[in-house]
Amino acid sequence: MKRNVLAVMALIALATPALGHHSETAEFDQNAPVKVTGTIVKVEWLNPHVWFYVDVPDEKGTITTWGFSAAPPGALMRRGITKDALKIGAVVNVEGSRARDGSNNASGRSVTFPDGRNVFTATQEGAR
Amino acid sequence: MTISRLVSSALAAALMFGAAATSSAQDVPRMADGKPDFSGIYSPPSTVNATGPRGNLIFNADKMAPVKPGAEGLLYEARNGDPRHDEPRAMCLPAGFPSGMLYILPIQIVQNPKNIVIIPELQRAARIIPTDGRPHREGIEPSYYGDSVGKWEGDTLVIDTVNFKRWILDDYHYTDPTKTRWHSEELRTTERLTRDGDKLRYQITIDDPKIFTRPFSQDFELTLRPDWEPLGLLEYVCEENNRCAGGNCRPSDAQTPR
Repeated sequence: MKRNVLAVMALIALATPALGHHSETAEFDQNAPVKVTGTIVKVEWLNPHVWFYVDVPDEKGTITTWGFSAAPPGALMRRGITKDALKIGAVVNVEGSRARDGSNNASGRSVTFPDGRNVFTATQEGAR
Repeated sequence: MTISRLVSSALAAALMFGAAATSSAQDVPRMADGKPDFSGIYSPPSTVNATGPRGNLIFNADKMAPVKPGAEGLLYEARNGDPRHDEPRAMCLPAGFPSGMLYILPIQIVQNPKNIVIIPELQRAARIIPTDGRPHREGIEPSYYGDSVGKWEGDTLVIDTVNFKRWILDDYHYTDPTKTRWHSEELRTTERLTRDGDKLRYQITIDDPKIFTRPFSQDFELTLRPDWEPLGLLEYVCEENNRCAGGNCRPSDAQTPR
């Protein structure tokens, strides 16, 4: 069902291991994929990186908050991704790479909306 | 066909070719002073014939000059765990030049007869480059972006930059969890910018005699983006969400939601 994908938005700057400007290779482990479904609870639409937070319930209903980093606001906007795309309360499926320190943070690679909305184009415009 | 007709045909062809070449050069928009007009917002520099990871945003090692014996440690430094050293930009420290030109954000060029101003959106660190023939400034401290002067060679703007502080050369550290790549304080860069339609041909020559046996150049191109004019460049205040202020942090500190 969740694999029934849908629209994917590329949130990170690059498809290659390196993204943006923080320490992708040092902080995040490309070999530790993260894939969660939850509700957006907080968005920091700020430089040097957009961060957004997603509350993820487990089978028992216990909530874990995951933090995801993304590209700078300007890079997202020139790809047609505005702040409105990440609405508080929206349910999303997020994939990324987990922080090496084991915390519940990750670099967010893609965000999928369950209703199939294609909010973001997949173009990597501005990304090199 | 007589010899004279042959010659005149060849001459006509040569003239036509010459005229075509000339009209192409004349097609470049020009300032009132006749210099090519570079003004506008451009896509980030893209490496021509990029190779390797993140090839568009870092210098390709296979195109670099040989490293002097014993200088490897000046070019590559092992990460030491201090983010101010390992990831200076992630700490909101300056990108510097040339690193600051090579990023995923756009670049705006503002031009007048006395200056070219190159403004990467990254950190909004404007490079104000005099083109009025003045020499480099004397007696100022070495800096992250160095001291630049520009001059026109025909339709090519040549920017000479010296007086650097030792700093990261480029974003190599985003491709390697173990090392960072640096230039020395003896770095001298030469940038050559030529407008070609909606492209800006952009060549950077790295002359760092403390590290390399000879200068080497890499070619980039920028693309004019009039469609980005309505949005313009955005503000970029890194400190607004500096997750690692002061440098005393581990990744988990840096990433804890506030």
